[in-house]
Amino acid sequence: MAGGYRYFEAVEKHAGLLGVLIAIMVSIGGLAEITPLFMAAHTVQPADGVKPYDALRLAGKDVYVREGCYLCHSQMVRALRAETERYGHFSVAGESVYDRPFQWGSKRTGPDLARVGGKYTDEWQRLHLRDPRSVVPESNMPAYPWLSQAMLDPADIEARMRTLRMLGDPYTDADIAGAQAAVSGHTEMEALIAYLQGLGINNAAKTADTAAAATGGSAP
Amino acid sequence: MSPFWSAWIMFLVVLNLGITLFLFIWGQRVKIPVQPDGTSGHVWAHGVLREGVRTLPLWWVVLSASMFVVGFAYLALYPGFGAYKGMLGWTAHGELAQDVAANRARLDPLLQRFAGQPVERLAGDADATRMGGRLFVDNCAACHGRDGHGNRLLGAPNLVDADWLYGGDGAAILASIQDGRHGTMPPFGGTFDAATIENVANYVLSLSGADHSPTKAAAGKATFAVCSACHGATGTGNTALGAPNLTDAIWLYGGDLATIEKTIRDGRGGTMPAWRTRLDDTEARLIAAWVHARSHDTTTR
Repeated sequence: MAGGYRYFEAVEKHAGLLGVLIAIMVSIGGLAEITPLFMAAHTVQPADGVKPYDALRLAGKDVYVREGCYLCHSQMVRALRAETERYGHFSVAGESVYDRPFQWGSKRTGPDLARVGGKYTDEWQRLHLRDPRSVVPESNMPAYPWLSQAMLDPADIEARMRTLRMLGDPYTDADIAGAQAAVSGHTEMEALIAYLQGLGINNAAKTADTAAAATGGSAP
Repeated sequence: MSPFWSAWIMFLVVLNLGITLFLFIWGQRVKIPVQPDGTSGHVWAHGVLREGVRTLPLWWVVLSASMFVVGFAYLALYPGFGAYKGMLGWTAHGELAQDVAANRARLDPLLQRFAGQPVERLAGDADATRMGGRLFVDNCAACHGRDGHGNRLLGAPNLVDADWLYGGDGAAILASIQDGRHGTMPPFGGTFDAATIENVANYVLSLSGADHSPTKAAAGKATFAVCSACHGATGTGNTALGAPNLTDAIWLYGGDLATIEKTIRDGRGGTMPAWRTRLDDTEARLIAAWVHARSHDTTTR
């Protein structure tokens, strides 16, 4: 082992070599943890009942993202009892296949919204978005009154849907042809409420089986 | 996980642990040439700093070795080594199922005596109403308020008074919770002109003895025949339709002249969502019991 010292000396005296070797060791972790999931993400199948957003809900989703709702609300029920009791069945990957960008997270100033669809009425959502304190006195959510006045711009909805189709979302020509008519004359408020009221409604009850299949069993 | 990715992860884990373990063992055995002055001969900062030669402290060697043991034990017990599931068979979903089962085991004996019981009986049980009150705050307060007093902006009814749109017996309250309700007041703005609406609104005010113009109310009485289809000839409402009683002083959206005119002109639509999929039968019964108890307790109104 007497000669071994010269290797240590070489690494110690050449910062560039040290940097390269550190990068190799650190990247082993990334290669093991990130690469398989990254490649697998392309093979995730939609959960039962999960469909691409129709034109109005798609416009609502864009309002949701634009207003930064994700900064306070996640759309990912974690596999923890406190969460499944409050929000329903935990979320599975197949429920988010049409979310670009996805709305996962654990940063919650407000509640998780993955399964909020149908929990409140449209009118409650409208009042709550215009003035959250009018229905929940202790709420610290900002008000979004301008959404009631702002009309949706139907000009680019077709282009958005075509882009999503290019990325793999199964929109038909008929879906895209009817998109302008579906959003024109609607406010951003109506689109956002349509989006919120659709969250989790088609997939909530069936996810148990999907999750069991996705993880190879042992799900509740 | 496909066999390829499993093998990929196994290879990287072995590689990483192999390199670190090799360095850990080999590095301690490497002889460092010691200069006569007791240093390795490395100098920094033009000779101001020189590198002494010491063996590694024992505590550091033991601590590092124990980290290897922990790492190998983890990979043996828990999922981490490719597709190998670990000797404990742990999964996040399995842990959740255990947590849920443990909680049910504590909760079910408590809930057992409430299951399927009539709401009226549960309303007299302090434990049942305490649990129901907690469930009400968690699920119902967003519309009906924490104390159940309702919300006029929303048309969410006050649940702790004695006035009921769909009936206040236990079965009716339970049905409202589990299956929801849709109340619809059609708009009459296209049917009646503004003066007629004002007259009818005055007549409606007269039904509950509120301030009104007697002449306008008298003029509106004939038109009220249209309203009586749902609200009844005397305006006492119809719980089969959810048509409110207009003769009491209790108002869903407000009882001033302007609000009543707006209700007649533009109509109203109130929806109670169905909670059957979000609350199990016993939970719904406990909430109904709390509502029943509160609405029959004159001290809490």
